[in-house]
Amino acid sequence: MRRGQIAGGTLLAAALFAAPAVVVPAVAAPPPSDARGWLGEELPLPLAVRTPQDLAVKSAAEKQYLIFNLLAGGKLAWDGGDFATAATKWEALLRIHPLDPELEKTIKPLASEARSRAAGQPVAETTPVSTTPASSSLPASSPPVAPANPTVSVSGTVSGGGPLGPGGAVIWLKRANGETPRPAPAHGKMITQRAKVIVPHVLVVPVGSKVAFRNDDPIFHNIFSLSKPNEFDTGLYKQGATYTETFRHPGVVQLLCNIHASMFGFVVIVDTPYYAESDASGAFNIKGVPPGEYELQVWHEAAGKPTVEHLTVGAGGVRGLALRVAGDKRTPQFLPDKSGKPRQSHLGY
Amino acid sequence: MAVAVLFCSARALAQPAPPSPAMPPPEPEPEPEPINDSDGYTPAVEGAGAPSPLSIDGYIDVGFAKAQGDGTSFAPNDQSIPADYGVDTFAPAVNSRGDVASTNSNGRFVNGFLPRSVGIGGNASFLLNTLDVDLKYAPASAPLMVFSRVQFLPRFTGSGDDTRVYVEQAFGRLVPFDSQEFALSAGKFDSVFGIEYLDNESNIRTGVTPSLVARYTTGQSIGAKLFYRLQIQPLQSAVSLNVSATNSGNLVESLQPPDASLTGEPVGAGRLGYELNTPGIQAKVGASGMIGPRNDQPEQAAHQKAYGFDLRVAVAGVYLNAEYVHLDEGEGGPKTTSLGNFPISSTFNVRGGYVQLAYALPFSVGALHKVTVYGRYDRRHAWFDGFTPITVDRFTGGVRIELWEAIILKAEYLDNRELAGAPTVANNVFTSSLVYSW
Repeated sequence: MRRGQIAGGTLLAAALFAAPAVVVPAVAAPPPSDARGWLGEELPLPLAVRTPQDLAVKSAAEKQYLIFNLLAGGKLAWDGGDFATAATKWEALLRIHPLDPELEKTIKPLASEARSRAAGQPVAETTPVSTTPASSSLPASSPPVAPANPTVSVSGTVSGGGPLGPGGAVIWLKRANGETPRPAPAHGKMITQRAKVIVPHVLVVPVGSKVAFRNDDPIFHNIFSLSKPNEFDTGLYKQGATYTETFRHPGVVQLLCNIHASMFGFVVIVDTPYYAESDASGAFNIKGVPPGEYELQVWHEAAGKPTVEHLTVGAGGVRGLALRVAGDKRTPQFLPDKSGKPRQSHLGY
Repeated sequence: MAVAVLFCSARALAQPAPPSPAMPPPEPEPEPEPINDSDGYTPAVEGAGAPSPLSIDGYIDVGFAKAQGDGTSFAPNDQSIPADYGVDTFAPAVNSRGDVASTNSNGRFVNGFLPRSVGIGGNASFLLNTLDVDLKYAPASAPLMVFSRVQFLPRFTGSGDDTRVYVEQAFGRLVPFDSQEFALSAGKFDSVFGIEYLDNESNIRTGVTPSLVARYTTGQSIGAKLFYRLQIQPLQSAVSLNVSATNSGNLVESLQPPDASLTGEPVGAGRLGYELNTPGIQAKVGASGMIGPRNDQPEQAAHQKAYGFDLRVAVAGVYLNAEYVHLDEGEGGPKTTSLGNFPISSTFNVRGGYVQLAYALPFSVGALHKVTVYGRYDRRHAWFDGFTPITVDRFTGGVRIELWEAIILKAEYLDNRELAGAPTVANNVFTSSLVYSW
């Protein structure tokens, strides 16, 4: 972690000094890329909890870290010209109760100014770190958050996919200019093993999502992944049992069963909120897309390489987008066991 | 200006704030569901969009090999009769089938203890080892699978085996109970003895050539097979039983008659296995047995008996395979194998095994997927009653490179040694294989 120099009279340093329960290095408005390690969801300093007093200290520190995050995050966004984010973060800060009156007095007009400036910007983003903890403490009289700018849909049809057809293609968008917003994790996702088939065969989830695996067969199953860095192994589990895995890294995960050499499926983890999965006819629809320039990617299990295109999303969205995936990748002849050794599915069971 | 206010307010903010009482952090509010939430895609089981119940796979195995000497293990000055009783004729294997470079005994009498041959002698040669076609039919509407493996074996040298089409496997498998890991198979299928049959094809075997004991364990035969496995969840383990009743035993086809039962009495074989499947380590052990008539001649009293033990351990990309085989064949009359008719079937005994260690290193660099280096030590002690026992061993080292998802390149060197009972002969082999799966 890079430690910045203290500039006399900077706001961030002062704000931190105003919080006696936490000691963190002062940051003199470093560029956003240097600050990302700081402005995370988790306290960057591990604080051991052994006594009730420790817990109280840790709670206080976390609260002050949240204040710091919102305060500094807003400042960095402001400095970077991202007034929508600055406004969002500072507005979230103002909802924390109780808040140092001096701090509130300072930030309130700045948040208002940032919000007015953001009105001319195309997108208002909210990251989980800036809103989630604070929103629970909202006083009843908190000002409503300004609505985000209008979003549109991107829809179309995927073709190709060889003998498997276009169904199960995963389409996602990432901003061509600037950062793609961090997606909220999906909840309640479930993959079952039924009649020795993994259902659904392809599931797309945002990064950070938890997926439950449930065995619906009267025999034991196992689900494992050798797909780095999303390896996992459920171990053996019987009918009705459930195993939950959190997918923390974007990428394609091939699901396999160590008992049944013909079972396989996929989880596609995306680090964008703009994604969709094609149905059997190839149709797809991505909702909530702010207009702008995007890189579009399409993954399909029958395609050796993903389809990559540049896409301009206008104010009216995109309809009738025609995408094609290759069908050059054959279904694997031998699926590996959990040690990576290929198995002939016609042998044994 | 707002920014000015921001900076000017710093001094005020620097004032010490009154200590606030310790308070729990705010409870996180449930995050909103992603707007593009998806329940996933599953293709239809049958009808439009459903995967075809018929799959056609296969591979082509092309090799390049060079054996020392004349490509056989026959020593020029050795006068023992039969010639194939005094050496290990299978030693200079050049491909995944165990075919040797040559079986030319220069007119000396042999009694059918011979492998198949590609007929290249001591010449370096490219080989078209196998063109394999696998058909699998598994309808979604029934717990049934039908599998066939047909192999085209082009042999163009004129001095080895003839070109032929070989139906290596053809069987149906039924899984009658949803609640049990229980399968019944009938037809021509792989052996159930030991573990080497599991990766006996060149598109799945780690190295190029089979072990010195593969000739006793990896044959296919016609009959019925039963498989049952019981999972033991608390131990992350399973116990399995695989038993068969077939026309012939587990010996490879060059040592057995083609498919039919010559005695009318089946050969029984089985393997009892235990496996441990934890995330960090997989370990499998098994004990196998076989008993029944030799079936290379009509004499029912001439029996064959075998037992063996096997071990497999896989951890962190390291694979250890080991197997021991003990086989005794009784004496019979004139015999018939897929190589022809021979005057006697002598009592034969063999004890042997191998240990193989492989390390697989996955890659994701362009076409390169995985590199595996491996080494194997084989040892075999065998004798025909009334003839000198022979002890041989072999060191095999090689590398396997996987490119894209369809191509495997393998190269290995076999150092064959005659330790006792057989003349030392130059029969080391360099062999390689390019396998394209489709």
